[in-house]
Amino acid sequence: MDHLLACEATWHKGHSLAQTVFSCIYLLRPERTTSHALLHSYSSVIRATCKAVISVVSDARTHEEEDLFTMMYGLNLNGEDEKCLSILNAVEETISRQLRACRALSARRKVLEDIEPLQNNPMLEEGYCRAILARLRFRKHFYHVLMCLKRPQGRGLQLARKHVASCISELKAIRELSGQHTACGGQTISEDRTTASGRQPVGFDASLNARLSAPTPPRSIKILSWSEAIEYFLKLLQDLDIISSCSLENSLDCVLHFVVQFQKSQPDLVARAHLQRLLLQDGKLFGREAIFSVISKAATLPEVVKNHDIEKMECVIQLGQLVINLLRILCANSAWQRRKLGKILQDWRVTYIQLELALRSKFGEPSGTPSGENICMNILKQLLVWVEEKVYWIASRFLMLGFELELYSTSEYGMVYWYIYVVSVKLVEKLHHRISISNRGKRVKCRGKKKRVPGKDATRDIQFSPTVLFLQSHICLAEGLTMMLAALRNEKMILESPTPFNSDQERFFQHFELLQKAGIPDHNSYQSFEGSTKNASLSMLAMYNHFKDAQRIAKEVKSSFSDDPERLSELRRIEQVAEHNSVALSLLCRVGDALDSSLKLSFEFSHHPHFATAVVRRS
Amino acid sequence: MDTGVSGGGDEKAEFDPSEITYVSYGGEHHLPLIMNLVDQELSEPYSIFTYRYFVYLWPQLSFLAFHKEKCVGTVVCKMGEHRSTYRGYIAMLVVVKPYRGKGIATELVSRSIRVMQESGCEEVTLEAEVTNKGALALYGRLGFIRAKRLFRYYLNGVDAFRLKLLFPQPYIHPSLLMEAHEDSIRRSSSDTIEVSH
Repeated sequence: MDHLLACEATWHKGHSLAQTVFSCIYLLRPERTTSHALLHSYSSVIRATCKAVISVVSDARTHEEEDLFTMMYGLNLNGEDEKCLSILNAVEETISRQLRACRALSARRKVLEDIEPLQNNPMLEEGYCRAILARLRFRKHFYHVLMCLKRPQGRGLQLARKHVASCISELKAIRELSGQHTACGGQTISEDRTTASGRQPVGFDASLNARLSAPTPPRSIKILSWSEAIEYFLKLLQDLDIISSCSLENSLDCVLHFVVQFQKSQPDLVARAHLQRLLLQDGKLFGREAIFSVISKAATLPEVVKNHDIEKMECVIQLGQLVINLLRILCANSAWQRRKLGKILQDWRVTYIQLELALRSKFGEPSGTPSGENICMNILKQLLVWVEEKVYWIASRFLMLGFELELYSTSEYGMVYWYIYVVSVKLVEKLHHRISISNRGKRVKCRGKKKRVPGKDATRDIQFSPTVLFLQSHICLAEGLTMMLAALRNEKMILESPTPFNSDQERFFQHFELLQKAGIPDHNSYQSFEGSTKNASLSMLAMYNHFKDAQRIAKEVKSSFSDDPERLSELRRIEQVAEHNSVALSLLCRVGDALDSSLKLSFEFSHHPHFATAVVRRS
Repeated sequence: MDTGVSGGGDEKAEFDPSEITYVSYGGEHHLPLIMNLVDQELSEPYSIFTYRYFVYLWPQLSFLAFHKEKCVGTVVCKMGEHRSTYRGYIAMLVVVKPYRGKGIATELVSRSIRVMQESGCEEVTLEAEVTNKGALALYGRLGFIRAKRLFRYYLNGVDAFRLKLLFPQPYIHPSLLMEAHEDSIRRSSSDTIEVSH
């Protein structure tokens, strides 16, 4: 049982089914296990579980990883899935009775039933029963988790959470029982063991399916250890619990935020496939909301759009496909995700241009346009604003992922933060524009109901929403870091040796090629970067401290996110980065040219995964 | 493919860098030296066909480093058209452990890169394990960037970076590139656009 769990975890981690789970002869020949109820039920539920997991990963088609994961090598996973649980329940009942009998015997009570022991040593029978029961229950609850998550439109999420909790409880019990056994036995067990007892598993042969693994015999692989397998499943269950706690809100911004937050825990393929299947079913969000409706809400389009023909426009249909594709990409592993985000920027740009052309060709000059067509024109204009905002959101995510994937070297931080600053400014501009249009629309609706206060509408337009201010704190940090790095370079406080074959310009172009090709941002280039940073100096930064601005904004906007622990946590991190960089900047301004070899300056990600903190240490 | 240039263990060879001689791949007599070095120092086992593919087709891109007639390092590369870009590829770079840390690998790979540049390559690329700090530092100093991260690229589950070096190109103003690009988008906007995935 334990070795099979380790094989299953190894398979999930990227090795073939043939070399892992199906290295077990009992799974290859299930008909030969029917005489042994425990073995047969356990094998059946493993096969049913593997089938369910392959199904969800196949549906998700996250690319790259699932190519190997879903390969069946001609192995048969079909079985009587519906019966496997009932057989398992029956075996669980039998072993429960055996456990009760053991306990009765220990308490010197009379045993009412005559039950066959599971193994030969009466002293070990109780512990053995408990260990087997925990494993059976784990498999049962895990199978239920998969079945509940499979239910359409997220209907099984609540029940899935309960089964996840039971799974975690059983895994912890398995680990605890193993610890007790080891303590009693007193023997030292190797960390590489794939079973709790440390004994060699029976019925496994890694080369069983060698001939099925075309075209060449596979290399030998290392099965995860038993403790690694437990850790893997605990992590998987925690990730599935997060998915099951999804609020199913039809707001695209909420969904994007949820997915981005979820990805921070670096979930594995199986968890990510489940998330994608939950988000997108039958081309609808959560299987319920049509994508155009989702876009309408996100772009805060007027209610009349529901009965409008605009939904049938080719560029609008294309936009729907882009949103679906974006959600799929965001559920992929970070490395693949970043590559695809860079590539789809051009698709979004194309759709933006198509919408713009549709607007111009249909309506030309706005004056003299009949009121019905005015509505269509306004809808298209709002869609354009929203599409641009999303383009900058994707660009921002592309840049930030570079830090998580460690794609930037220290000498490149300056140009990266400059680009993040420029993209974020545009993102905030578009977001603020969209929110303003939406607020104006709401005020027009309420005009008949409330007295208008002269000048108050204008003031409301200028006030920034908490979301905008939240992003503004990022902008201040990015600008501060760009300027600090540029100043340090200009004042030769960080020395960078020239590279023999190319220069910063080539590296700039390579890092940001996909953004530049998509015109993000318009007409900006290496020359703009050079122009903005060539005169940066520490004395200039001392006069205008971007980090203090970031701190101030983060503090001010905290109260708006009092019920959002993730945003609060992010704001705290922003404050810490801003504070530490501000202190470092002051120190560097005082030290000036005296930054000698006794002091070492480095940039570390100790407080935030994307925004570096300058650290000055004695070397 | 593979780079073995970091670490070195306790035993270091005593030598002056000027004692190292660098030669271009000269023929079959060099092949066993390259194979022995790579088999000894790198984790990936290659067949003789793999070596011959590189050194027969691109002998001018492979170099060996000798110290007193002992082969202590080698680099094996190729170049060719890839998706409308003429690019070089560094397949193997290895220096024996006692000789590491003295710039031999840098010199070997620099020689190959110079030949690639002179042959008209627009860029050079290779993969390196994310954990291979020595290789990443070496290529970083030469101007390579980490263009992509390849998830579980190696059979042991380790990720790889795709490293790329772009040679300076004739200067075209970015606004001209953007205009040309947007024009082509507008011209093709009436066609069905396929969304990439």
